[in-house]
Amino acid sequence: MFRMKDRDEWSFQLVVNGLLLVVLLIIVIPLWRVIMTSVTPLDVYMRVGVPFFQWPGDWSFGAFQQMLSHPDFPRAALNSVIITVCGTAVSLTLTVPLAYALSTRTLPGRTVITAMILFTFLFHVGLIPTYLLVAKTLGWIDNMLAIIIPPAVGVTNVLVMRNFFEGIPDEIKEAARMDGANDLQVLLQVILPLSKPILLTIGLFYAVYYWNEFFTPILYLNDSDLMPLPVLLRNILIGQNFSEYVEYDVSRVASIESLKAAAVMLTMVPMIAVYPWIQRYFTKGTLVGGVKE
Amino acid sequence: MLRTTFVKGALIGLVLIVVASACAPASTPAQTPAPSQPTVAAPAQPTQAAVSGKPVDVELWAQATSTQAGAPPDDWVGYKTIREKLNINLKYVIIPTGADGETKINAAAAANALPDFFQTVSTSSERNKCLELYKQGLIAPIDDLMKAMPTRVKTHYNDPAALSLTKFDGKQLCTVEVPNLPRREGLVIRKDWLDKLGLKAPTTIDELLVVAKAFTTQDPDGDGKNDTYGIGGYWDSGTWGLGNRFEFVTGAYGLPGLWNFANPDHFGLNVRDPDYPKALAAFKQFVDAKVIDPDWATIKRDEFRIRWPQGRYGIMWEDFAALAMKSNYAKFDGNFPNGEWVPLPALQAPTGKKAYYNAYGSVGNIFAMSKKAADAGKGPAIAKLLEWMASPEGYYLLGFGVEGVNYKVSSDGVVVTTGLPDAKLAWNAEGTQNLTQMRNQLIFTNDPKEVAARYVDFKSKNGRTISPMSFYQFFSTQPWVDSKPGQLIVYPSNRADLKRFYDENILAFVLGTKPLNDQTWADFLKGLDNLGAGKWEADAKKTLQDAGYAVK
Repeated sequence: MFRMKDRDEWSFQLVVNGLLLVVLLIIVIPLWRVIMTSVTPLDVYMRVGVPFFQWPGDWSFGAFQQMLSHPDFPRAALNSVIITVCGTAVSLTLTVPLAYALSTRTLPGRTVITAMILFTFLFHVGLIPTYLLVAKTLGWIDNMLAIIIPPAVGVTNVLVMRNFFEGIPDEIKEAARMDGANDLQVLLQVILPLSKPILLTIGLFYAVYYWNEFFTPILYLNDSDLMPLPVLLRNILIGQNFSEYVEYDVSRVASIESLKAAAVMLTMVPMIAVYPWIQRYFTKGTLVGGVKE
Repeated sequence: MLRTTFVKGALIGLVLIVVASACAPASTPAQTPAPSQPTVAAPAQPTQAAVSGKPVDVELWAQATSTQAGAPPDDWVGYKTIREKLNINLKYVIIPTGADGETKINAAAAANALPDFFQTVSTSSERNKCLELYKQGLIAPIDDLMKAMPTRVKTHYNDPAALSLTKFDGKQLCTVEVPNLPRREGLVIRKDWLDKLGLKAPTTIDELLVVAKAFTTQDPDGDGKNDTYGIGGYWDSGTWGLGNRFEFVTGAYGLPGLWNFANPDHFGLNVRDPDYPKALAAFKQFVDAKVIDPDWATIKRDEFRIRWPQGRYGIMWEDFAALAMKSNYAKFDGNFPNGEWVPLPALQAPTGKKAYYNAYGSVGNIFAMSKKAADAGKGPAIAKLLEWMASPEGYYLLGFGVEGVNYKVSSDGVVVTTGLPDAKLAWNAEGTQNLTQMRNQLIFTNDPKEVAARYVDFKSKNGRTISPMSFYQFFSTQPWVDSKPGQLIVYPSNRADLKRFYDENILAFVLGTKPLNDQTWADFLKGLDNLGAGKWEADAKKTLQDAGYAVK
């Protein structure tokens, strides 16, 4: 019996680890391909395409060089940083009190408010009404508020955070109240110090969203000085395609495919760099917040 | 504790306000609404603003010539000159290409916030977008603007057929700018391979098959490997059926493109012609003989343009600039210094019908003036700006930059870049592209001297002269079918379904996954009709007839 259990356990581990390995490969192989494409020298690319493996000594950073040396790159990167930092700060500042209020069981009209929030999740208002509000009513053309404010509160993030707050034992809040704390004090001095995992997790979600934001800048920003990095990278890539038809000589230090891969890497790396610092909170944050007892 | 909490709360609020403020640059000052008067109808009269000497604000939205280069800087000499010479404060906004650009226009249209003068960007038809905006009351006719710019009408708006595309109810709704060089693609063959195998350039579809077989099986590059294909290409999903890259086959049968503009007496879809399945059968022969790169149906343009410089193909259909401009040719030249591409004429099919190279239907970018701008009396200012762009001063400044800095003019009147103080500032250098962003949209005219300046000859690695223009001249003088009137045809609402059915069947026929015989062809045509193709053809015919085209 014991042996059977061991064997079952072993089989279970084998299947689970096998599946995880498959998932890992599904993620790693494309990523590896992108890395190799981004560092493939132009002459190698023109002869044989992208090799599956190249020694680091053979790598070429021409594609990165071309992207990074674009005169608009520093400004676009700064715009992206501003949008990401401001957007994440505004989003968390709005999401936390909303989620906390909704987690309070005694909140009058809690169900109705939650339903109203959910309604916006299920039935999106659409592009044109949003544009009318942002561009016409608020006048936020050429204003980064148009990029930051409309998506500032993500319904999924609010619900995940609310569930996390609900998981904090009421006794802790009651103890604080008995000490004379009001709701704001409970949130700031009791709940938030206990909520680092969810704050970092949701903060990362928001940061990734804002960092990758591409469409709304195109829609609301006419001034090219305000454009963020994804728009610049797209323009560079489209320009590379068109350059085959126009009359000027484009410097050919990398293939179009390498430039695309380098663009992917450049937009991905900052988020990947942040991830290890908050990884230990990440699983805890989503698991606790994602399960409602 | 309570005090601390309030302080923290206040701090958070303050941070929020500061963050939001920091992220919000000063918004542009709202334009002062100009007096609403129909000055468009009276082009000779200056605007109210111009009368008072106050500069007129004109916002122009257009796509860029070089998207990666960005917009001109605020201190650009173009803005300064336009302000000083025309009393116009130009705000030039670069709009994205493709669907993103169309969405931006649509959103602005929905909010009645269209700029003063703008490109009617559309992924399907800029002409139809122009018409749609007019019907929505968002743009104003430009007949009076046309009268106010006699020079530009001569240089840019001199093709009545093109202009007629944006005429409706007797009114000229939009401008139709000069198109990027039309008929610029063509068939080319590796002359060095022909010479090595002792073959002659093919002139018929049958001869093409013979040569393609030899290129595939007889090691034309002499590397001892079976690594070449007679024909290279890719399926261009943006066009219908076989796609633009292989239309030279249907062209040989007199049936290039989607619509039969070659024979106006039998106007309709080309697939209605009994010779169309013969053309497909001919193409299938190439597929069956494995002389076309077998990946043709799945690879994209970028992959195709990696493969031909690798010496994989002996025959292909390619754009003259993508083939022979210095920076593009360099990839091929580096791998095969002795390789030589030469153009092929339109091939003849066994049917003996008049053969065509392909069909061409592109027109220039279409621009409109918003109704808002017309009501604000900005029409004359817009006309003045466009007219100036066509004057020598505007043309050279916006097309090539500053003389002596960005370009020089040779004794025979051609713009050159030799002898400039700083070659990096040449008009065609990578770093100066933001200074001439409007040139392909509003400035260039395709005048022979201008074209000579744009596409210059160069030496290959082994010292041969490569002349992009010689390819262009060859391609453009082949027999092409003018399908520009096709721009008038409105797609049915089930366009996506119809195109999918059309494409899938054509590909299935030539790939052999569906037999090609009388019965299957009849079934295919019946399937098209079930999706409304017959009604679409009837509507298209009526539209063309109403527009004055003699199609039957």
